[in-house]
Amino acid sequence: MSKIMTVDVLSSIKGARPSESVSTLFDVIKNANQNNNSLNAVNNNSVSLDDLRADIVFESAALEKEIIRANFPREKNGFLVVAKVIED
Amino acid sequence: MLSKEFTCVSLVQGKLDLLQENTHNTVNSLLIETALGLAAKVDIKIENGEDIGLLEGIPFGIKDVFMLQGTLATASSDLLKSYKSSYTATAIQKLLDAGAIPLVKENCDSFGHGSSSENTIFGAVKNAINTELVSGGSSGGSAVNVAKEFTIFSIGGDTGGSIRQPAGFNEVFGFKPTYGKISRYGLMAYASSTDCVGPIANSIEDLRIVLNIMSGKDVRDQTTYGSEEISEEAIDYKTSSVKTVGYFKNFIEADAITDEIKEAFLATLEKIKASGIAIKALDFFDADILVSTYYTLAMAETASNLSRLDGTNYGARIEGENLKDTYSITRSEKFSEETKRRIVGGNQVLSQGFSDAIYLKAQHIRGQISAQFSKDFTEVDLILSPVTPGAPPKIGESLKNPLAMYLSDAYTVGFSLGGLPTLTIPKGTATGLQITADKKKDAAVLQFANFLNDIL
Repeated sequence: MSKIMTVDVLSSIKGARPSESVSTLFDVIKNANQNNNSLNAVNNNSVSLDDLRADIVFESAALEKEIIRANFPREKNGFLVVAKVIED
Repeated sequence: MLSKEFTCVSLVQGKLDLLQENTHNTVNSLLIETALGLAAKVDIKIENGEDIGLLEGIPFGIKDVFMLQGTLATASSDLLKSYKSSYTATAIQKLLDAGAIPLVKENCDSFGHGSSSENTIFGAVKNAINTELVSGGSSGGSAVNVAKEFTIFSIGGDTGGSIRQPAGFNEVFGFKPTYGKISRYGLMAYASSTDCVGPIANSIEDLRIVLNIMSGKDVRDQTTYGSEEISEEAIDYKTSSVKTVGYFKNFIEADAITDEIKEAFLATLEKIKASGIAIKALDFFDADILVSTYYTLAMAETASNLSRLDGTNYGARIEGENLKDTYSITRSEKFSEETKRRIVGGNQVLSQGFSDAIYLKAQHIRGQISAQFSKDFTEVDLILSPVTPGAPPKIGESLKNPLAMYLSDAYTVGFSLGGLPTLTIPKGTATGLQITADKKKDAAVLQFANFLNDIL
């Protein structure tokens, strides 16, 4: 798949274009000197494998289910309505 | 309340009235029924002579990016204007369990995207001290409510300075704890790797009490860790063993810092030195590197986190010709300009051809920043810095110049990237001072804040 996707498509925002202000920030990173010592690259927020929780299913309370349904953008004849699906 | 000079209902009603009448635009929604119902229960307990907890009956505010079941959670956005929380955030639930009473969902920058609380559908939040100035952001409404004493404390979210900077702008205390100390479950995700929950209050003791209640491991947020309660004695500065305090030389030598902030900061260092603590100047990354690293990663994460907001399952939906069209019309119409700017920036750096040169490089620099902090804390006990390089801007200025707004976060974002506990004390410079310690040394930060509060 070599299809090029523009940022408006990637972002699902019509007419979106890269911002000049944001590009200025990215240029700083592109031009930054970096220390290649990989020992310096510490990922502090990773969770240890031993610490991963088991998959747990939390049953939602009745009130929670009711609010989730109430938040759904459209309802018709008791059904929650999604937009027409397309395939390409 | 215990001496029955006033009832909890009268206290809560008084605060609700102040919030309702206020002209600072701090309120997104008032929780009148919930608050008065809970207050009546507290009065009955007192009447019956039952014991009540430390936070029982204490009115507080919640930044409008937290879930509280059955109440609106708008993120100050058009897209979620009518969205109701189906569940309650862990941090908020713990406060409710301790008897605290939620009064208000507070105005903020939409999805936390901003440093001025102007990026909101509820109107720019006005500074507590000078209404022509911004309140700071993104937790601007929360800081102003505390400063005006509309709430006893408020709960904010801090991704790159969103508690500390508005605390400094409105002369209150604000604390971003160590990353993972408080569960993020139920906080709308902006940049998950730096998002933190924290309190804003008028005293260090209030911060300690609220922090203790909200902290702890949560099975619903795997980045949380178990932490011991911080005792009153642990933050008494008379027992402090602080020998050396560091500061970043280049923060103070930067062109962006105003003379007023610089002189006040240096004068504060002198006062600390006079009390027998050594001061050490430290080398650090340039402000533009810190800001660019932070925004690169934060935008990438927010682009990913906000991709779920497409009008399908919740939030506003504008129907298009087909599913993709519905997504893009909804997002184009319902996200603010600043939020769209960040989503687009995030997708830009995550896309093929950019990710190596920008995103992965920023991740690498973040690793270097963390390593630098680890090294610094072998030489100093704490790091002191200004909160911002300058005074709060006038309302309207930040929206005109997004780059200037991003660069104004120069002194706060580095500590977010390091996941370090950092507190704003509203003293020492016009916009306060930040005290930072190594990870999990939150008590040391509070203790030093007590010391500074005494000498400044």
